[in-house]
Amino acid sequence: MSTSFLILIVLGLGLIGWLVARAKAAGMATPGSRELHSLPRYHGTYVALWAIVPALMMLAIWSSVSPRLINSAVIADPAAKSLPAEAIDRDAILSEAAQLARGDIEAGFNPASDALVPAFKKADARFGMMGGALTLVVAFACGAFGFTRLNVGFKARTKVERVTMMVLLVASLMAVLTTFGIVASLIVESGRFFSAISPIDFLFGLHWNPTAEGGPDLGENFGAIPLFWGTIFIGAIIAMIVAIPLGLMSAIYLTQYANARLRTWVKPLLEILAGVPTVVYGYFAALTVAPLVRDLAVKLGMENPSTESALAAGLVMGVMIIPFVSSMADDSIAAVPQAMRDGSLAMGATTSETIRRVLVPAALPGIVAAFMLAISRAIGETMIVVMAAGAAANLSANPFASMTTVTFQIVALLTGDQDFNTPKTMSAFALGLVLFIVTLLLNIVALRVVKRFREAYD
Amino acid sequence: MTDHSSLWQSPEMGRKLAKRYASERRFKWAGITAIVLSLSFLAFLVVTMVSNGAGGIDWAFLSSSDSTDPATAGIWGAFKGSLLTMGVTLALSFPMGVLAAVYLEEFAPRNRWIDVVEVSINNLAAVPSIIFGLLGLAVFINAFQLPRSAPLVGGMTLALMTMPVIVIAGRNAIKAVPPSIRDAALAIGASPVQVVFHHVLPLALPGILTGTIIGMARALGETAPLLMIGMRAFVATPPDSVVAPATVLPMQIFLWSDEVDSGFVQNTSAAIIVLLVFLIAMNGIAIYLRNRFEQRW
Repeated sequence: MSTSFLILIVLGLGLIGWLVARAKAAGMATPGSRELHSLPRYHGTYVALWAIVPALMMLAIWSSVSPRLINSAVIADPAAKSLPAEAIDRDAILSEAAQLARGDIEAGFNPASDALVPAFKKADARFGMMGGALTLVVAFACGAFGFTRLNVGFKARTKVERVTMMVLLVASLMAVLTTFGIVASLIVESGRFFSAISPIDFLFGLHWNPTAEGGPDLGENFGAIPLFWGTIFIGAIIAMIVAIPLGLMSAIYLTQYANARLRTWVKPLLEILAGVPTVVYGYFAALTVAPLVRDLAVKLGMENPSTESALAAGLVMGVMIIPFVSSMADDSIAAVPQAMRDGSLAMGATTSETIRRVLVPAALPGIVAAFMLAISRAIGETMIVVMAAGAAANLSANPFASMTTVTFQIVALLTGDQDFNTPKTMSAFALGLVLFIVTLLLNIVALRVVKRFREAYD
Repeated sequence: MTDHSSLWQSPEMGRKLAKRYASERRFKWAGITAIVLSLSFLAFLVVTMVSNGAGGIDWAFLSSSDSTDPATAGIWGAFKGSLLTMGVTLALSFPMGVLAAVYLEEFAPRNRWIDVVEVSINNLAAVPSIIFGLLGLAVFINAFQLPRSAPLVGGMTLALMTMPVIVIAGRNAIKAVPPSIRDAALAIGASPVQVVFHHVLPLALPGILTGTIIGMARALGETAPLLMIGMRAFVATPPDSVVAPATVLPMQIFLWSDEVDSGFVQNTSAAIIVLLVFLIAMNGIAIYLRNRFEQRW
């Protein structure tokens, strides 16, 4: 019996329970003298929950236990006498036989696994039947138990609502679980990396070449400073030189000068810039912007400039960030009290003087927070740098040079390789940890700045 | 008594005023330039893609799957992978996000635990997408042993990324429902859970859907986390289940962009056009929903 079929049956039992219990509840009430505490449909839901939830829990437990039971049954089978005693070899053959029995693969790599297929099929069918029967018994028994508790005064609604509240609580804990999952997986994998390579070599080393084989001093190949520099140079310097003036000036023009009609047209158009997938920007950077930048480098008299340059990636990334900076700056300028603007204009200042001397200084904390969030966006951006920035870890201030970033290296280290236990792949998690901590700090500080700034004017 | 009017009209004052007005005009022009530059970049991008790729869009391109020959390669396989992945993402993140938003906005007690939940939701919304990919790789693939390259894992990873967006949009939509609605329902005997599910949630639904569509549009264009969980396989036949190896539309763009054969330039641009059309349509629906159903109380 397949699992999905079993789930369907359990759900069907739940539906039957719902209908029967609702009918019973409706029949119990006698208008005037014996009123139901809860509506019939709550009685129905109560029984359906009893029928479904324990059975599905049972099924989940069973499907995590049964592979082990099946394996031990197969090993006990006479056909398994010839199996090697080594646990690793035996498990390999067993898992191959399992795949053969389920039809996942056509032919086994090891001839020994063919012999085990009938035993496997037998054990599979037996334990499958057992699990299915157990699940159905649980569904039926629990449903019946719920059903016997129904009577006129039974507080079915309260019970159902209690379950609802638990579901709501679990849903809201998912976010914490995700955060915990991120932190745990990054820390565990980085911990394994740092047990092989000292964190000092990693954080302050100047040489990055993770593909180099072995060597006496492994730490020498994992100096991440060139990556940090590339990330900062592309994301926090070049991209911001593009995004901050353009984003800030468009926000100022749209809020202070433009009329309502222009605003309703231009704002959504600017938002499109933020909605374009980063892979599209990456392709555009590699296909169109990078050759232009290369031509520019040639005109500036550079010899043999690379097609992949920090400038091309940074420029395109900057454009991607414009709407983000613009809408954050927009919000913080709008939060400045109208009285300050009116006061400045009444004193005879021109609009631009009011903006530069009153509005922007007053909104400065919010604008600074916007810059920090923009930087955190830019340094976490992946596809643009993967497609346009290059793989060479250069420690250079030349924007035409090929440069690599933290995100690029995470992608490069983790794609293609299936083996997760080399320092090379684990270093990707260490880089991820650094990236996570830096973006988190930028966000926390920025949000705190915004909050205090809001309070100052409220 | 000095004569202010003569001072006001003195040539020196005139020069000062002219300077100030000139700087006013320069400032205004700087603003216009900023907008024009940003929008012309967008126009440049769109025109480049259309001129490279518009010729490549035909029925064969839309209905066939990936191939090593650019002339026969199409996007249907990747598109179907995207559909399956988005289906998983929506099925997980929408209920989770809405229920979490309901709990946090309507029932959560004000205590330290709930602060932790709120802080983590706000931070998750700002975590770089590639970190979610690392999570998916470490948890779903290494720890749970789920299949690589499968829409199931991709959808789960993207769901974790989309959920905070839906929670934040959902909370704002629920917050916008006026308390008088809740009071009225409570006054005629509804339980708090009934108030929320019968009255508040239906009224907040347009706002929640708008946020969901925007979150889904972002997930549809996402590549980096899927790269981490191995959805970059060469898939010549469309996936037929959520555990079959698959690729998605943005990933197909990325894979084709790496091809040496210049015929793939047209394919890549054509796939980009298709992706952009979908994203614009989704955002258009979101804007329509917001304008059509959003009530101002």
